[in-house]
Amino acid sequence: MASSSQNQGVSEYVTLISSDGFEFVLLREAACVSGAIRRMLDPTSRFKESTTGRCEFAEIKHSGIVLEKVAEYLYYNHKNRNREDVPDMEIPPELCLELLMAADYLDC
Amino acid sequence: MISGRGRGKIRPPRRGISHGSDEFEDMWAILQSALREIHEKNASKLSFEQLYRASYKIVLKKQGDRLYDRVKEFEEQWFGSQVMPTIRKLITSNLVNITIGGVSGTTANERRVTGEEFLKGLKASWEDHNTVMNMTTDVLMYMDRVYCQDFRKASIFTTSMGLFRDHILRSRLASSDQDLITFDILNSVILDQISMEREGDVINKHLIRSCMYMLEGLYETDNEKDYEKLYLSTFEPAFIQASRTFYQEECNNLLREGDASSWLKRTKKRFAEEEDRCQTTISLLTTSKIARVIENEMIREHLPEFLAMEGSGIKAMIENDRYEDLTLLYQHISRIDQSKEILKVALQARVVELGSEINKNIQNTEFAQQDVDVAEGGEKSKSRPMNAAAKATVAAIKWVDEVLRLKDKFDTMWRKCFAEDLILQTVLTRSFSDFINIYPRCSEHVSLFIDDNLKRGIKGKTEAEIDEVLDKAVTLLRYIQDKDMFELYYKKHLARRLLFGKSESGDVEKQMVSRMKLEIGNAFTSKLEGMFKDMTMSEELSSGYREHMDKLGDLSRTQPDLGINVLTSNFWPMDSIGGNKMGEDGSRQMCQFPQEILTLQESFKNFYLKERSGRLLTWVGYLGTADIRCTFPPIPGKEGAKVRRHEITFSTFGMIILLLFNDLADGETLSFEEIQERTNMTTQDLARQLHPLAVNPKTKVLNKQPNPKEAPKPGDTFSFNASFTSKNIKLKAPVISAVSKVEGEEERKETEDRNDEHRGNVIDTVIVRIMKARKEFTHQNLFAEVISQLSQRFKPDLNMMKRRVESLIEREYLERVEEANTPTYRYLA
Repeated sequence: MASSSQNQGVSEYVTLISSDGFEFVLLREAACVSGAIRRMLDPTSRFKESTTGRCEFAEIKHSGIVLEKVAEYLYYNHKNRNREDVPDMEIPPELCLELLMAADYLDC
Repeated sequence: MISGRGRGKIRPPRRGISHGSDEFEDMWAILQSALREIHEKNASKLSFEQLYRASYKIVLKKQGDRLYDRVKEFEEQWFGSQVMPTIRKLITSNLVNITIGGVSGTTANERRVTGEEFLKGLKASWEDHNTVMNMTTDVLMYMDRVYCQDFRKASIFTTSMGLFRDHILRSRLASSDQDLITFDILNSVILDQISMEREGDVINKHLIRSCMYMLEGLYETDNEKDYEKLYLSTFEPAFIQASRTFYQEECNNLLREGDASSWLKRTKKRFAEEEDRCQTTISLLTTSKIARVIENEMIREHLPEFLAMEGSGIKAMIENDRYEDLTLLYQHISRIDQSKEILKVALQARVVELGSEINKNIQNTEFAQQDVDVAEGGEKSKSRPMNAAAKATVAAIKWVDEVLRLKDKFDTMWRKCFAEDLILQTVLTRSFSDFINIYPRCSEHVSLFIDDNLKRGIKGKTEAEIDEVLDKAVTLLRYIQDKDMFELYYKKHLARRLLFGKSESGDVEKQMVSRMKLEIGNAFTSKLEGMFKDMTMSEELSSGYREHMDKLGDLSRTQPDLGINVLTSNFWPMDSIGGNKMGEDGSRQMCQFPQEILTLQESFKNFYLKERSGRLLTWVGYLGTADIRCTFPPIPGKEGAKVRRHEITFSTFGMIILLLFNDLADGETLSFEEIQERTNMTTQDLARQLHPLAVNPKTKVLNKQPNPKEAPKPGDTFSFNASFTSKNIKLKAPVISAVSKVEGEEERKETEDRNDEHRGNVIDTVIVRIMKARKEFTHQNLFAEVISQLSQRFKPDLNMMKRRVESLIEREYLERVEEANTPTYRYLA
């Protein structure tokens, strides 16, 4: 939908920023696996994030660590999108709930 | 997913949830202002994340319902304060008037402009609403995802669409005392525009299409069922209704104009227009429905009236080969009725009418005398009826020609206009068959037609042309019901062609037979093939006999040369070819052959029976010919005149008569009775045989007294005509029976009687065959079976069948089953 090839002049990469200041630069295509991020960046809506390509997430707690894991997941998902029998991603148990919340928030 | 079991071990995340409505109000304040910005198309300053987070929090705090209601409220207010006023402004009193149905005092152009303005306004507000609601939904995604799903509420997008429907399209118009809503205006404006387009104006199709998209995107309720589309529930019925009225009117106008051709073209145009309209202006959903409307109003309603139109209806179309019209007509009728009943009836009526006309014309018209030769061959006293017969022959061929022309006409029509429709082909075939079989002499005429073509018609034609003629002949044959009658006639005509060597080409003859074989079957042609076989056999026999005689060598060379045709009496229609009738006792009346000929016959018979014992040879004199070398004395009183020799071909009977004169001294005469006594011919035969000898000036080798110019009759006397002159050495006396012609009344009656007799036998055979297999069979079934078995050959007459059954019962082949409820027969072995 919002892949770089379809929208000329839109950067291929987007930046996710955690509440404690970590920045993760991701392929836009990978980031848009998340429903929230996709809508956030939808160029037709012209919200602030869609023009700057920077998404700050104030809501996610301990957001540096969690967002890193989210980013990892997004890439994991993107990389394996057309494959079958994919090995499970490793998730540290102490982050489980935080990640669940984040996933719920980001719709991914 | 981690299941609930793990809950005890893992600490729940801390949440800074402070209870209280203040936080909700704060969040809502943010959202509300953001929504306003979005509605004013100012979204670029807003942070999606912030808004999303706000709605997220509200929902998390179980306040989704409040948020949902607030958003709804906000939209309603927005519609009321911002959107409706602009649209109201666009609804001029004119538009209202049109909607109410009153005549507006404005021109079409003005109407179009104000209508377009209105549509544009509505379209713009719809499109705005759509973008805005898309963004709002995005922001409120979390609410949709969690709150709406949990509480089974329609998504906020659907709800807001419903709001648009209720607050914009269904909003009551304050300015009018009528009960009008925006919808009514919308419908009437669009219908007005469409009717302008139907009248030939150009309208903004794209604009209307956009409005249609809007109606297709909206639903009656928030359940969004496909069949509840506003388009289907409101606009389409109105459109269909308006179209129906329009086309009723149009059809009535066309009816008044009274031109079926323009009606066909207009209807076609309308079909194309409406289809185009559905694609470009309104919706594809309506395509088939509007087509149905046109079918009903333009075609079905008044079809019979258009077809019956004088000068342009189906009669005129067929008459003048208006292929284009007929094509359209076919297409239109196929639309409304798969069985094309009305076209079938019309075609059938037309074919039968035209066919009966041909039948009547042939029966009435007198034809100019075309075939003089035929008349000359006849005896004087008979020359007038012969003339009529010749005319009738020409008429017969003309009848066939005309039938073929009619057939051609309808065939072309069928190919060009009716898309080779099988139903119509059946109808045409049946109609042709009907009128052809109404004509009592069809079998005879078709056979005559073939006869004529094989004798003269194919001369100088290419193979392809011959093929065509044969094809036509077979086509006609297909229509004839009484195939046995045809067989009878064909055999008769074929026999004449073969025996008198009149046939143009043996190959073509054989082709014809094989075609008939294909068409009707083996049983039909086996006798015809037998005739051909006889002919080839006879040729071999003749040459074999000649060789045999040569080998014997000792016989005097004065013996006449013999060419013989041995005919199997089963195959050949003996009775119908020649004059000799069966005697009372069933034996053929034999004429007295002179001694020379008898010797010859005896010698051939010996030769023939040597290899084929047990056969009976009967000599059929009236079919043969003889070449006679005649010597005439020099004409007295002419210096240097020599003895003249002529080689004259007479019929065999003619030869017998002439041989009698060989023994006469100069100046002696023979009376009619004397000749009859010595030849044993019937009066009628003899008179006919004497005609070419004594009356026909070309071969007048005998003198007749009295009345040399009249037909011979008993009481006349004949003498050798010593002063016979002719420029040619070789002469040919016309053979009367070689010319195929239409039968006279008497002859036909005879043929029919014979045919009936034959049919009776055939029916007997079939009944016995069926009963033998079934042992017991009801009357009804038996008759049905007989008819179906005979359908290839002829259509049996019911009375005749009853008589045959009676006679079979009498002859104890069958008996009635007494105790059966329905009449039943039993076969007696």
